[in-house]
Amino acid sequence: MIKKIGIKLILLLLVVTGLNFIYTYTLFDADLKEKSPEAIAIKASVDSTDIYYFGESSNVTYRPDDSIKTSISELSGLFFPQLKVTNINKFATHGGIYKQWLFGMRLKQRKPGAIVITLNLRSFDATWINSKLETPLQESLVLTKPYPNLINRFMLSLQAFDNRSEKQREQEVIEEWTKTQLEFPFEAKYSTVKQWDDGMANGGHLKADGTWDTDKISLACHYIKGYAFNLNENNPRVKDFDAIFNWCKENKISLYLNLMAENLDYASDLVGKDLLVLMKQNRDFLMQRYNREHCVVVDNLELVSGKEFIDQNWTSEHYDYKGRMRIAKHLATALKKQFENNYKEAY
Amino acid sequence: MLFNSLHFLLFLPVVVALYYLLPHKFRWLLIFVASCYFYMSFVPKYILILFAIILIDYTAAIAIEKAGDKRKLLYLILSLSANLLLLGFFKYFHFANENVAALLSLFGKEFHPINLDIILPIGLSFHTLQSMGYTIEVYRGNQKAEKHLGYFANYVLFFPQMVAGPIERYATLGSELRKEHKAVYDNFSDGFKLILFGLLVKMTIADNLAPFVNQVYANPSAFNSWQVLLAVVLFAFQIYADFYGYSTIALGSARLLGITIIDNFKTPFSSSSITEFWRRWHISLSTWFNDYVFTSFVTAKRDWGKWAVVLGLLLTFFISGLWHGAGWNFALYGLMHGVALVFEFLTKKQRKKLSAKIPGWLYFKIGTLLTFLYVAFSWIFFRSENFDKSTQVIKSIFYNNGLSFTAVNWSLPLFATLALVMLDVYLHNSRFDLKVKSLKSPYRWAIYSVLLFCLMALSGTQKFSFIYFQF
Repeated sequence: MIKKIGIKLILLLLVVTGLNFIYTYTLFDADLKEKSPEAIAIKASVDSTDIYYFGESSNVTYRPDDSIKTSISELSGLFFPQLKVTNINKFATHGGIYKQWLFGMRLKQRKPGAIVITLNLRSFDATWINSKLETPLQESLVLTKPYPNLINRFMLSLQAFDNRSEKQREQEVIEEWTKTQLEFPFEAKYSTVKQWDDGMANGGHLKADGTWDTDKISLACHYIKGYAFNLNENNPRVKDFDAIFNWCKENKISLYLNLMAENLDYASDLVGKDLLVLMKQNRDFLMQRYNREHCVVVDNLELVSGKEFIDQNWTSEHYDYKGRMRIAKHLATALKKQFENNYKEAY
Repeated sequence: MLFNSLHFLLFLPVVVALYYLLPHKFRWLLIFVASCYFYMSFVPKYILILFAIILIDYTAAIAIEKAGDKRKLLYLILSLSANLLLLGFFKYFHFANENVAALLSLFGKEFHPINLDIILPIGLSFHTLQSMGYTIEVYRGNQKAEKHLGYFANYVLFFPQMVAGPIERYATLGSELRKEHKAVYDNFSDGFKLILFGLLVKMTIADNLAPFVNQVYANPSAFNSWQVLLAVVLFAFQIYADFYGYSTIALGSARLLGITIIDNFKTPFSSSSITEFWRRWHISLSTWFNDYVFTSFVTAKRDWGKWAVVLGLLLTFFISGLWHGAGWNFALYGLMHGVALVFEFLTKKQRKKLSAKIPGWLYFKIGTLLTFLYVAFSWIFFRSENFDKSTQVIKSIFYNNGLSFTAVNWSLPLFATLALVMLDVYLHNSRFDLKVKSLKSPYRWAIYSVLLFCLMALSGTQKFSFIYFQF
C-alpha cells in the first residue's frame, strides 16, 4: 500500500508541476496585476531604473487646492534629469512590505544605482504594526513568495497569510499600550501609553471658558498613541529594515532611508517635551543603526513646519507642496554625493 | 478552523497518521482530543456547552434505559428540555426579546429588550438535533444507551461533521466510531478524491459566486431588476455548492479515518417536485425532521386523516425554517416549503392525470424548472438578513427596470455556475469518488488534473465561511 501511495504522490507531484507551468504562462500575470501591481511595476522597470523610490502616502498630496501636485519622488527626480527615477508607491506600506518587494527583485542585466526607501517613524508604532490595513497588504505579497506560482495562488485562496481579524489586531495594540514600559532619560509622569493617554483624556486641554477642549485632547491622544514608543531591535519593523539593509549590502546597492518629517510643532504644543524626547530618541536609534557603510539615513524629521502638514487635525505624514519640495531637495542633496555628475539644481 | 484553510489541510493528515499509528483502544481519545482542538479553534469557551450536552444526554440515555415506562418519559423530557433550553437561549433569546417588545408595543406598553452579548456557538443547532435524536432512539428502544462516555462524546464531537452535519444516528456513526479500522488504500484514495472535489465545489464555485451575490443582497435597490434576479438564481447555486462542498469534505475526511458518514445531497436541482427536492437536499436534516417531528405528529393525530398530514407538513417545515435561523424570514422560508408540499400532497391525483396527457420528458423538465425557481425564490428569505430586506429584494426584482446595469465582473460567476451544472449532470445521482472509479486510469488522471487546476488557479481569493456554519 505504501508503494502504491508513493507512486500516486509522485504522479500528483508531476501533475502539479505541469499545472504550475500552464498557470505561469496563462493566468499568473493577470492575477499578479490584480493582487500585486507593484511586483509587475518592479519587474518591468528593474533593468532600466537608476534610482528606485519606494514610498507610501507621504509621497503624494491629498489636498485638492494644492497648486503643485508633484510627488516627492518626482520632485527629487528633477534634480537628476538624466537618470530614471522609478516610484513604487502603495498606501500604508512599511518596512515589511518594502522588504518583500526587494526580495522579489530579479537583478539580471543591471542593478539600480540606489534605492530610496521611505522611513516613516510612525510605521514602527503598535497601531501601524497591527493596523487593519495589514491584511490587504499581506495579501498583496502572497503571489510574490518564493514558491511555485500555482502554490502561491492556492495559498491566496486558502488565505494562508497573516489575516488576523480586526478585533485580534486591536487586542494586540491594547496589550502593547498597556504592558510596554516607556523609557525616558529622566523621571517621567507616565510609564505606559495607556496611562499617558488616560492622563491626557482626563486632564488635558481647557478652553478659555474653562471647559474641556475635546478637539485638542483628542488630537493630543492621537500623538501619544502614534509616537510614544521606544525603538529597539525587537521591533518587527526594525527587523524588516535590518533585512533591507543586509539585502542592499549583499547586492552592493546604495540604500537611502528617507526618514519622513513629523509634526514636531504640534506634538510639542499638544503633548509636551516628553513626547519630543521619545521621537528624537527613536530618530537617533535609526540613525545609529543604519547610517553606515552603503546606507544613508536622510533625516527630515524636523524639516517641515506644523502648518505645512496637510492634515491639521490628524497625525500623518502628508505634506503640502512646500513640505514635499523641502523633503525632495533634502533627499536630492543626499543623493548628489553618489550621482554628482548627473545632479542639476532644480529649484 | 475552516475546512478550506491551510490550518485544516495540515491538521487532517496529522490526525490521520496518528490514528493509524495508535492501537485501537486509544483511538477514541485521539478523535476526542482532535475534535476538541478543532472546535476550540473557533471560540474555545463554547466547548463547555458541548460538554454539557454530552453529559446531559449520556446520563439521560442510561437513566432512560434503566427506568420504567413512566420514569423514562420524564428523563426524556428532561433531556430534550435541557437541549432545547440551551439552543433556545443561545439562538432565540434576542429573537424572543424583540418579539415580546413588538407585541407589547401593540398594547402601548414599553419593553426594552435585554441585550446580552450572546454569540451562537458554531454548529449548536446540529449538535442538539443529533444528540436529541440519540435519546429519542434510546427511549423508543431502538438504540442501546452508550456506556462509554468517550465514544458518546465522539458521536457529538466528531470533527468532520460536528459543525454542520450531516446529522448522524448513533446506530450508524456510533458503530463506525467503535470499529477497528485498518489503513486501507481505497479509503485514502476515496477520501482524498472527496476532499479534492469538496474543496473545488466550495472554493472554485461557491466562493466565486459569493462576491456578486453579497454585493446585490447588501444593497438590492442599487441594482437593475435583471441583476437582482440573477443574484437570486446564483444564490441557489452558491448555497448548494457551499453546503455540498462542505458535506463532501466532511465525507472525505471521515473516510480517511475509515469512517463512513451519510451523503447529504443527491443532485437536488434535478428534482421535479419539492417533495423530491427534500429527498435530495440536506437529506440528514429532512430525515431527522421526518422521523422525529412529522411522523410523530401524524401518528399522534392519525384520527384527523389527511389534515394530520397537512398540518404535520406545515408544522414540520415551520419548525425547520426557524431551526435554520432566528427570524420570521426563516419561518416564512420553512412555511413556503411546507405549503408547496401540502399542495403536492393534495393535488397528487390531478398531477398524475396531467402527466399522462403530456410527454413524460416535458412534464419532468417543466417540473424541474418550476421546482428550481420556487426553491430559488424561497431562498430570498433565507439569504436576507431579515424580513424587510427580503421584501426589498423582491421589490427590486419588479421595480428596478429603469436602473442602469451596475458594472460587475461576470466571467467567474458564470464560469462557476456552468461548472456546477456540468458536474451535476455528470454525477447525476452518483458521487464523485464512485463515478471516477469506473474510469480508466488516464481518463481519471485527466479529470483530476482539470479539477486540480480549477481548484488551485481559479478559486475565489476572498474567504467566505461556510453558509451553514452560522446555524
